[in-house]
Formats: sequence, C-alpha cells, structure tokens
Amino acid sequence: MTPAYAELQTTTNFSFLRGASHAEELAIAAEALGLSAIGITDRNSLAGIVRGWTAAKKRDVRVLSGCRLDFMDGTPSLLCYPTDREAFGRLTRLLTVGQRRAEKGECHLSWRDFLDHADGQIGLILPPKDLDEAFERDLTRMAGDLRGRSWLAAHRAYAAQDLKRLERLDILGRNAGAPIVATNDVLYHGPERRPLQDVITCVREHCTIQEAGFRLEANAERHIKAPAEMARLFERWPRAVERTAEIVARIDFDLGQLNEEYPDEPVPPGKTAMEHLSDLTWSGAAWRYPAGVPEKVETQLKEELRLIAKMDYPNYFITVHDIVREARSMGILCQGRGSAANSSVCFCLGVTAIDPTEHRLLFTRFISENRGEPPDIDVDFEHERREEVMQYVYRRYGREYAAICGTVIHYRPRSAIRDVGKVLGLTEDVTNLLAGTVWGSWGDDLPEEHLRNAGIDPDAPEIARAVALATELMGFPRHLSQHVGGFVLTKRRLDETVPIGNAAMEKRTFIEWDKDDIDSVGLMKVDVLALGMLSAIQRAMTMLRDDHGQADILDIADIPKELPGVYDMLCKADSIGVFQVESRAQMSMLPRLKPRKFYDLVIEVAIVRPGPIQGDMVHPYLKRRNKIEKAEMPAPSPEHGPEDELEQILGNTYGVPLFQEQAMSLAIEAAKFTPDEADGLRKAMATFRNLGTPDEYRDRFVEGMTSRGYQRDFAERCFKQIEGFGHYGFPESHAASFAKLVYVSAWIKWAWPNVFCAALINSQPMGFYQPAQLVRDAREHGVEVLAPDILASDWDCTLEPMTTGFRAPRIREDKVADYDNRHNWKAVRLGFRQIKGLKKAEIEILTMARTEGARTPAEFAQGGVPQRALELLAEADAFASVGLTRREALWAVKGLKGEHKAPVQAPLLAGLPLFEDKVALPKMGDPQEVAEDYRTTSLSLKAHPVGFYRPMLTRRGVITAEQLMSVPDGRKVSVAGLVLIRQRPGTAKGVVFVTLEDETGVANAVVWKDRFEADRNVVMTASFLVVHGRVQRAENVIHVVAEGFTDLSAHLSTLRDEPGAPAPRVRQKVSGRLLRSRDFH
Amino acid sequence: MAVDETARALGLSVDQKAADAMALVPSLVTFDHDAAADRMALEALCDWCVRFSPAVAIDGTDGLFLDISGTDHLWGGEGEMLVDLVARLARWGVPARAAIADTPGAAWALARYGDDLAIAAPDQQRTAIEGLPVAALRLEDAAEAQLPRLGLHRVGQLFALPRAQLAKRFGLATTLRLDQALGMAAEALTFRRPASPWFDRLAFFEPISAPDDLARVAGDALALICQRLEAEGRGAKRFEVVFHRLDGQAYPVRAGLARLGRDAGRLTKLIVPKLDKVDPGFGIEVVTVHAWAVEPLAAAQDRLDAQAGTSLDETLAPLVDRLVNRLGENRVWRADPYESHVPERSVIRNAPLDPPAAARWDPDRPRPVRLFKRPEAITAIAKLPDDPPMQFTWRGRPHRVRRAEGPERIGQEWWRAGVGEEDTGPGKIRDYYRVEDDVGGRFWIYRQGLFGEAEAPKWWIHGLFS
Repeated sequence: MTPAYAELQTTTNFSFLRGASHAEELAIAAEALGLSAIGITDRNSLAGIVRGWTAAKKRDVRVLSGCRLDFMDGTPSLLCYPTDREAFGRLTRLLTVGQRRAEKGECHLSWRDFLDHADGQIGLILPPKDLDEAFERDLTRMAGDLRGRSWLAAHRAYAAQDLKRLERLDILGRNAGAPIVATNDVLYHGPERRPLQDVITCVREHCTIQEAGFRLEANAERHIKAPAEMARLFERWPRAVERTAEIVARIDFDLGQLNEEYPDEPVPPGKTAMEHLSDLTWSGAAWRYPAGVPEKVETQLKEELRLIAKMDYPNYFITVHDIVREARSMGILCQGRGSAANSSVCFCLGVTAIDPTEHRLLFTRFISENRGEPPDIDVDFEHERREEVMQYVYRRYGREYAAICGTVIHYRPRSAIRDVGKVLGLTEDVTNLLAGTVWGSWGDDLPEEHLRNAGIDPDAPEIARAVALATELMGFPRHLSQHVGGFVLTKRRLDETVPIGNAAMEKRTFIEWDKDDIDSVGLMKVDVLALGMLSAIQRAMTMLRDDHGQADILDIADIPKELPGVYDMLCKADSIGVFQVESRAQMSMLPRLKPRKFYDLVIEVAIVRPGPIQGDMVHPYLKRRNKIEKAEMPAPSPEHGPEDELEQILGNTYGVPLFQEQAMSLAIEAAKFTPDEADGLRKAMATFRNLGTPDEYRDRFVEGMTSRGYQRDFAERCFKQIEGFGHYGFPESHAASFAKLVYVSAWIKWAWPNVFCAALINSQPMGFYQPAQLVRDAREHGVEVLAPDILASDWDCTLEPMTTGFRAPRIREDKVADYDNRHNWKAVRLGFRQIKGLKKAEIEILTMARTEGARTPAEFAQGGVPQRALELLAEADAFASVGLTRREALWAVKGLKGEHKAPVQAPLLAGLPLFEDKVALPKMGDPQEVAEDYRTTSLSLKAHPVGFYRPMLTRRGVITAEQLMSVPDGRKVSVAGLVLIRQRPGTAKGVVFVTLEDETGVANAVVWKDRFEADRNVVMTASFLVVHGRVQRAENVIHVVAEGFTDLSAHLSTLRDEPGAPAPRVRQKVSGRLLRSRDFH
Repeated sequence: MAVDETARALGLSVDQKAADAMALVPSLVTFDHDAAADRMALEALCDWCVRFSPAVAIDGTDGLFLDISGTDHLWGGEGEMLVDLVARLARWGVPARAAIADTPGAAWALARYGDDLAIAAPDQQRTAIEGLPVAALRLEDAAEAQLPRLGLHRVGQLFALPRAQLAKRFGLATTLRLDQALGMAAEALTFRRPASPWFDRLAFFEPISAPDDLARVAGDALALICQRLEAEGRGAKRFEVVFHRLDGQAYPVRAGLARLGRDAGRLTKLIVPKLDKVDPGFGIEVVTVHAWAVEPLAAAQDRLDAQAGTSLDETLAPLVDRLVNRLGENRVWRADPYESHVPERSVIRNAPLDPPAAARWDPDRPRPVRLFKRPEAITAIAKLPDDPPMQFTWRGRPHRVRRAEGPERIGQEWWRAGVGEEDTGPGKIRDYYRVEDDVGGRFWIYRQGLFGEAEAPKWWIHGLFS
C-alpha cells in the first residue's frame, strides 16, 4: 500500500525569483501524483495561497495555507501552519507587523514577534546548512517554545552526504522533541523546470548563468515527488513520511472559512440594513421619476431588492451610496459602472446616471445568483480629486478595516526576454533586438516571424533557448503593487484576514491579494477610480454656470438628453476630444456605425476593442446594422434546442456577440458550460497566461457549440473573441457608463466648443490629443482663441468676451453645428500652463503682482516674479498687450538682472531703463514667430508652419488636407504635413497609421507592412512628410494608402533660421524638433 | 554619444534615444561612450603635435591649440604648415579642421565656423570673424541659445551693441570672449607638459635602424621612465616601447610583469628578444615609452636577516616572468577551484601570481585528490534504482565495496554552448558515490543515467581519494 504523503514545503513563484512554478501547477501536480495535500509556504508571504487553494477546490487534493517565516534575529526559519481560523488571523497579523515595519516588499520578523502570535500555530523547523551547536541550542529553544507543535524538516535532495545528515537530524530532533518530518523542499512542480529555476536564481543574484556557480542547484530533484518515491527515499525513517499525514490532520483551517462578513453600515434606529437600503432606493426613485415611478421600473426595483436581500448585500450597496453621496457633497463628480452598477437600484441611489429600463440594456444578471460571487461596482471620480474620496473611505472605516487591493505585476514579453537574455549572457544588442521585436506591450508571445524580421535566427540554439525560457517566464509574478483604487472593506480587522504591507507611496498600504483572489475568498471591494474626463466635464459645467449663466447645469443628469444634433456631429467623426471615441480607430468607426441613439454609443465604445476585432465580429455587425446583410440569429440544430435560444443574448446586436457578457452567456447557453466552468473560463482568460488551460476551454467551447449544430467558424470566432477580451475585456455594463460620458462630452463640444476646449486643456494631461489639436479643432468650429498674455491670462485657460468684430479665420463648414449658439460663446484665453517650463507657483506671484498694478517686466520683477519666469514669458511672446515684441521683451527682461533687488526705486522710474540707449533689434520674420510659438507653447495661433511651404508643395503637386476631402476614391494624390501621430496598433498586423497636419486640416495615411519595412527610416523619423499614394474612401472615411514618401524635415530648419543668419557649419547645436510627434508603439 | 558617417547616412543622430535608433535601424550595434579612451586619444594626438610646436594645449574634448610663434618658418610659412598638419592627420584617418589667427579665440572660431584652413591676416581677426555665427565665440550655453532669439546671429552684430548692455544681459564672460577673440584681452592657454605622467620620448637627429641601436634606445627609453617611477615611489605592470618610423608607421613592443616593477635592466631583457618584429624601413626618428597599471610601490628594502633575504614572491616573480615571456602568456598557469557542480569544470587556470580565487572547495561536496582527465568505464553491480554498487570491476580487477556514501546527483549544465536537450536529460544525470573497497582503496565512481530510461545506465570511475 502506498503510504500517505503530504508535501509541506513548497515555494511558489510568489516567493519572487525563487519558486519556478505557479501555485496552480503545484496543486495540479500534487493531485496527479496522488499526494493527500500540499502546503504552500512562500517566504514571509501568503500571496500565492489563494491561487493554489482555488485550483485545488475542485480537485482531489488539499492545499494548506502556510508560510515560511524567515527571521532577522538568526533564528532558523519556520514553516508555519495555522490550525484554525483564529490562528490564521494571528499569522496574517504577524506578517502585517513584519511588513509594515520594513521597506516595500520586505518583512522583518523576530522569534519574539512569532511567539506573540504563536497560539494555534504548528511549525516545521528548517535546519541550516551547518548542524552545529548553535543550531542545537536554537532547536531546543524553538521546540521548547512550541512544545508538541513542532517538527524538524528533513529532505533528501541527492547531496553527497544526505544520509549522514538525516541520521544527525533524526537524533537532534528526537533529543529536542521535534521529530523529523519528510519534505522535498519543492521549488517547482516537475524536473523540467530546473532551467527556469536556475535562470530566476541568477536574476535574483544579479549574475549570469556562467558566473552563478554553487548558487544554482546541482540537480533537478526539487520537484513534487510521489508518495512511494518519498517513502523509498526515507526508507530508514518511515515515521518521517507518516508524520506528514499526522500534521495535515491537525490542521483544521481552510481558506473557505474566511468568508468575511461585510462591515455593517450605520442605519437609522429600529431599521435593518435591508430596510434602510429599501428606503433609500424608493426615495431615490421618487427623485428620479418626479412624475411617478413607472410600473416597469417598480417591478425591476422590487426584483433587484429581492435579490440583494437574498444574497445579503444591502450593506454593500449602502457603502457605495454613501461614498457617492459624500463625493457629491464635496462637489466631486463621479459615476458608477460595473455589472451591479447597472441596476435600477444604483440609478435610483444616484450611483449611475443611466436608467437601465430606458435603454433596453442586457441585464441578464446584475448579481450572480448561482455563485456567491460578490457584486462589482466601480466608481470613477475626477482624477485630480480622487485622493479626497480615498481619504474619506479611510476616515470612515479606519485603516484596520479598509485597505487597497494588491495587483500582481507579471513578467511581460519584454521584461522576460530582457531578464533571460541578461542571465544567458546574450549581448545587450541581441537582447534589445529580441525585446524590440515585441512591439507594444500586450503581445503575449514572441512570434518567430518577428524574430526573423529583426534579423535574428530563431533556430540558433542560444536564441531558441532564450525565447523558450522567456516564454515560460512570461506570466510569472514579478512583484506586488497596489491596485489603482480597489478598496477591500471588512467587518473583522482586515489584517486578521490577509497581510497588509507598505506601498512605495508614503503612507499607503495594500493587501497581499489581488482582486481575483479577493473574489475567490468572497471578500467585497469597492473600486474608487480616477477618470480625467470627469475632471474636464466638471470644469466645463463650472464654466457653463459661471461664465455662461447656465445655472441649472449642476450634474451630468442635467445635460439635455438624446439631441439629434449631437449624434449628427458624431456621425461625421467630428469627435476630437470626445471621451473614448476620439482615437483614430474610433473616428473611422463613427461614420460607419452612424450612432443615432444612446445604445449605439454603448456599441461604439465596445466594438473597437481587441475582443470583437480578434473575433472578426466588427464587419458582420456593421453589415447587418447597415442592412447589407440579413440579421440571422445563430442557432443550434433543431434536435439540440430551440432556434431562438440566443435571441435573449444577441437580440440587441443583430446576432453578433460584441460584449463580454454575451460571450460568456454563449458559453453557457450555446456551448452548455456550467456556470462554474464559465467562471473558470473567464478567470483563465483574465489572469494572464496563468494556467496552461485555455486550450482545454477552447476545445470544450468549440466542440460544445459545434456538437449542438452551430457552425464551427462561428464557434471559433466566438472563442477568439473571448481570448481578445482576456486582456481588455469590455462588458456592456462598463460600456454603458462610458457611453454616458461619450454623450455628455459630445454635447459640450457640440453646444459649447469654447468651453470644451478650455476645460480639456485645463485637465491635461488626458486624452488622445494635445492642446494644439484641441485649439485647432475649436477654431475650426468658430471659437476665438487668444494667446497667453501677461495681462489677461491665468494659469488655466479662461473665458473672456469675444473681441468685437471677431471673424473666425478658418471655419470648417462641415464642423459647424446646426445648433447656432455662436453669439453666446466667449473667447478662450490660453493659460500660462501652456508655456513650457513655467511653474504654477510663479504664476501665483505674477497674478498677485498684477492685481497690485504691475504691467511692465520691471514691475513684475519687482513684484517678485523670478527672472527665469519672465524670460520664459518673454520668449513665449506674452508681453504683446504691453506693446513689447518677443525680442524687445526678452531684451528688457534680460536687462533686469538683479535690478529688482535694488533697495528703493521710485515708482515713477520703475522699469524705465532711462540710462540705457534703445537698442534696435532686428525684426523677427513670420516663419520665425511661428517656430518660436511652437518652441515655447507647442502651438501657434499666428499661422501653421506648413503654410509657409505651400508654394513649394504646390509646385510638387501636393494637395491640402482640405482638398483631399473631395478627391474621389482610387485617385493618386500627394499630401504633406507635420507628423502628428504615428501608431502601430498590435491588432493591425504591422500596419502603421500616420496622421499629418497641414494648414487646412488633418490627413490620415495608412502604411502597409511591406511599405513600412521598405521606408522604415523615413516613416519613423520624418517630422515633415509628403505621402504619395492612393485615396481610399469608405463611408466618409478618407485614407491615403501610402506608396511612397518624401521627407521634407530638413526644410523645417528654414523656419527657424532667419534670412541672413549664417548656416551652421560644423557643429549644429541640437535645437529640438519643431513638433514632437506622439508615437504609439 | 557619437555617430560615425555611416550611421549619420542612415539617419541616426547624436540626440536620439537608443530605442528610437534601434527602431530605425534594427541591426544597429551600439557601443558605450568611453570618455577616458577619447581623452587618451586626444592626449596622444596632443603629444604627437609636439613635432609642430613645443606648446600644445588641449581644448575641451575635441580640440587642440598650437602656439606656432616662430616655428612656421620651418615649413616655409603658415599656409604650408597648416596643409602639412592636416594632411598628415588625414593620412592617419583623423579628420580635422584647422585655422591660424593671432588670438586663440579667433583661431577657434575660424577652425570651427570659418572656411577650412582659414588664416586670418595679422590684426585682421575682426573682419575675419564678424560674419561667423555667435556660437563661434565660445559662449555659455544660455547666451549661445538666446542671442539668436534676439535676432543677434553674427559676431559682427555684437560689435555694434553697447558693451554695457550686452554685459549686463549675457554676463561679463560674453564681452570677455569678444575681447579675447579680438586680442583686447589676454587668454592664457594651459600647455600640456611635453610628457604625460607615464610617458616619455626620445627623438633622434639622425634616424636609426641598426638592431643594436634599437636595443640601446629601447633601454634608454625604459631607463627614462623607470627613473621617474622610482622617483615617485611607483611601479608598473605593463610597459610599451613604440618605434616611430619616418613615414609615420609605428611599431609597439610590449612587456608585461607579473608584479609591479621598475627595473629597466630586467625590462630591457624582456623587450630585446622581440625587436626583430620592428621594421625600421628608412629609419626610426622617435621612440616613445609608456607605462600602464601604475601603482605605488614602496622602495624595496632587504630584510635585516640577509639569509632569508627576499620573500617567495620576489624570488618567484622573476622566474614566472621569464617563463611567461619565453613560453607565451597562456602557457604558465595556476589551477584554482571554480564553482561548478560538474567535476570536470570545477578547476580553472589562473595567472600564476594572481590573488587566490574567491571559490573554495566545499567540504559538503567531497572531491577526490586525483580526478581523471577522462572517466574510465567500469562494470558494477548495484541495487536499483540508486543504491551504491556492491562490487565493481576496473581495468579487469574486481573490487568489493565495503563502505559507500552517496549518491550525489549532478545534472549537466544545460546552458553551455552546444548543449542540446538530449545532453541534459535524465540519460546524462550522474550519481556519484564515494566508495571504499575491502583493501582500503577509495574511489569516486558514478553511474550515468537513471534506471527506467530508454538507455541503460553506465558506470564510470572518475577519481581516486587518498
């Protein structure tokens, strides 16, 4: 009979750079080998236990939660196992104590600390290398402190003197009262992981594999071994093996016991939490529906409240309501999203601004009734004020009961290949090349073809080895970090559930588990996130109230809904700056999708994502929507189910799955996954390459669907889509909340483009476009934009009355809204924030000096504005309103050096350089003025640089971006401009998108892969580029498909160089590009 | 950071980020900038220029000043001298620009921003430089950047400005540079002393070419530098004597010491046998000598007990030097332990007198006193799967095992070049046993391969314990 054996010493890859297997792999291997249990014992950490435990839940093996405690005081390490829930709480408190007193990522503990938390713990003492007298003393002391609860770990790793050592351990253990117990000190699940373990050892030791020497293991024996094998190895000490089972039997703790209750919210006396939530909901409903709650809504609310009561979640909803209410009272804009957020209850509680009953959204389940999975609500706040909300949460619940979730930072292709390459001694050049072949950060493998393109032979043994190891390393945790805003709240002290450690940021702490772990053990969390667009919308609403007298616009809900003009604008892809739909890809989708109602925006937000794109769902959807193709519902063969079994799921989207919920529902309805399987699928996809199981799911999914009569192609595409969701899953519930902001920001842009422009610039950095493009777009809509000026500007952009007789210099007819509100607009005065190098504090001094009457450079200097700031202002041409040209101002400011420190100066004479002869400086030419504007403020209101080259361009047969709009499809053209953006999306098979800007507008070029490889040089570096190619028009989207390029970048220097200035000869000081393109690669 | 002509043609430039450059030229090879090497090269060039003028000063990271007062007539005039200098440099692959003017400032400006090989007529520097960009004045960065912004591009425009206003705004340094260029303010150049700290040179009126002469001048040159080393209480480990031919060709001859030294006689003995490699051609005009790895070396003092005399090092070192210089550098070594689990690779060769290796033998991994260069096959009888053998036969003689320890399991080093999957798999794993036979012989034997694999395990003997 095989003896029972449990492996009690395993290191997962959460002991960073020590363990070479995922906890899941260890659990699976343990089951396969027939172990009764394995205990996970990472170093001073419990970060890996949830994963191991989750993997084992459905398997025939027990995963014990333990921890290897390393002590700072020289005490030998201890594998600590809590025997019950209370002891587990003491262990997490102990680790919290150790982590809180150390730097991020470290844990400082002494034996004394352990004894303070030792109740209910049992432990295996780890003998050091030398079994000397000091150890004998330590052993006696430890075993004495843990009388009857300690053992001595012994292992046979095939070292030369194993047996001699075991003999000695046996005697030592017996003498001390800590009998030996067999472990294999596991570092990986199977011997094939030895190379990877060697590599991470080298990464840890900062050495190459050649230098590593005895820091590496001599052999590949430290894997999980079968009970029979362990019994053979410990033949002479059979009790050592038997004791493992005895130890397991003494452990009564399982992670399933955590199931923390959620904190109780204060409720009015005499009410239960559920009654209180019910009251809040109904009074909220009365506020949302002043004309009376519609019957449909009432039914929905009752159903949701029933479910909340059944699942016992009222406190959670009260919490979210409270946070949102508090944020509102602080004047912070916020909006909820997430599956639970799209409930009518959340709408009535004011958490969201979308009425789900109004938009026929798919709310198949807002809370999963089957599984005890906690509800999920994320709340976005203005990004600059999110911190205030977080502080409120800490204040309200206390730091013992509230903490930020952890996030596991994984090895990505780039980091993996870099580390592996360094260890294997590849030269930095080769490693860079290998890393460089991963364009973008979301590739999850190193395709051979990429390597070949980079000039690397993937078959060369060194390369093949590096790539194989790097591929294995990808997805390994690298370190823990804090989640952006996920708060875990508990009723019991949180540090009795999970260890809490220090974050890199001062005074921040976070727990060791990430959000999936939290879900697995059934803790609840509220996401408090930051969103730049909310800041911009808040600013815009403030300006509308203060500058435009729109006193009734207090909240997102006050924005007029479903105005056709707003949709007209979006259909034209006039969406620069609009939330979510401003990217190049979204802008080419808008005219094809032609959104006419709110739900269309929900789809627009979700469709341009890796999921639908990889699943090839975009075109079928568009064809059906535009009635080019008939909308057919995929159906099983008649014997397997009703023809319309997917109607409920795919009805809203013409039978094409676009959202994550739809794909998951497909798994359940069409492929007949059990809810648990579906959940496993979702997790396997979401956790980056965590388990080697997606293939299992793929087969199960595709076969499940085809065997029921669905077309294989459809099934495979659905699965690809699910894979695409893996990284950037976008459920409908999120899309709906985002769509709301799309509409709101689009409305602001449509009705008040001046406000929109100012609010977006003031919320920078955010979004896709830089101020130059936002300003240009606003001007094309007829907005007057004024330059930063010493007398008129603040730090932020402000609104001021339009100049009398203002006529917009470049209105684009196609951008003029039919809603003519223009007489009400004000002009945008650019703020000093636009001038590079200025500091906000300097501007505060400046505005102070200005209120005291300062006007000239000297007066500002006297008012305390630093010389440096004044020089920057002069160079940015900000003294125009006091009659100084750029050069005059700079000359004057330079002349102030030290002057303002003069003791007393008669105000009459202040700033008047009476004793200086007037110096005649050469006048600056127009091109130089523009070049200087760009240099100092990244934009120019005077002219567009390309305009100066128009005669030359016309001679070369180049047309303007404006002319391009009316060129028919297929015609050969040349367009030119400054390169604004270069993009090489990971989803687009090596295609590069280049956006050019000239004085009339923006032109988009597409560079196919072959063309790019041929002209890589020009495409990557040119700042002023001519693209020759063919026009491609589809649904009002115009691209030039590049066939050739002319690089005019060198001509730009003529902008900077004044006529008559000597051309630099030998040394050319680097003067910076006129405009730095934004490259996404 | 620097790029060469080829790189520039590919669109690379000095201000680029390495990542951007790699995106542009995927096969780009980059090297780290070695400022010290650049400096050394410039210093070498500076020393070489001594042939044109004794007063040479280094200017920044890329320039030299030569004070040629009274030397140009040797070339038949300034123009000829300039042409000769630049032509010689070009022959050596050093691209250079040069100019001559009355003041260092004007010469600097002309060399960098003027016509190539420009010569400013005496007292004409004002006209010579007024058309040059302001950067030609060696201004501070802020002034150099801001002057053009004010529309002040050329040096001549600055002449026209009120000096006080200019000085107030751009500092006295700016007006000083103007004055220096025009010769209205003095500028002191720090001329490099003729010899670097560890460099000396001998020049000959008559070129030499006889082998005996070469040996003699080598000795003289070494004596020069050794005297200086001694005077400063230092010694060096590496020496180089360079024979410069009339046509610019140079022949370096090197000698290395195992320990710091400065004995010219001993060094000459090491150098002379290598002189046959020097082809004197039309004659050697200059010999230079360099010393590297210079470190403090206390003056040797014999101990009072004269018998014991010198230490082991002092007696061993000359021997090692002679052996190394005679047999070749890689032929004399000391065996040191090296951290590798694989026995064959646990020893490396180190230089004879290097400090002891950091690696130590690990008592927990007993290794035999004598390790065979190649393991020898044996036959053995052992219990499965990994018990020590009960009996084995080596070179036809059976040994009955009385005591055994092990196995010590050692996997192959999977990362080594040329090692494939099958070289590291279970079939190549070794289980080592330390065994003692019934007559007290101790052996280190191993079994290669595990039982149960496709290939049956084989037994080997790898060494003997004492």
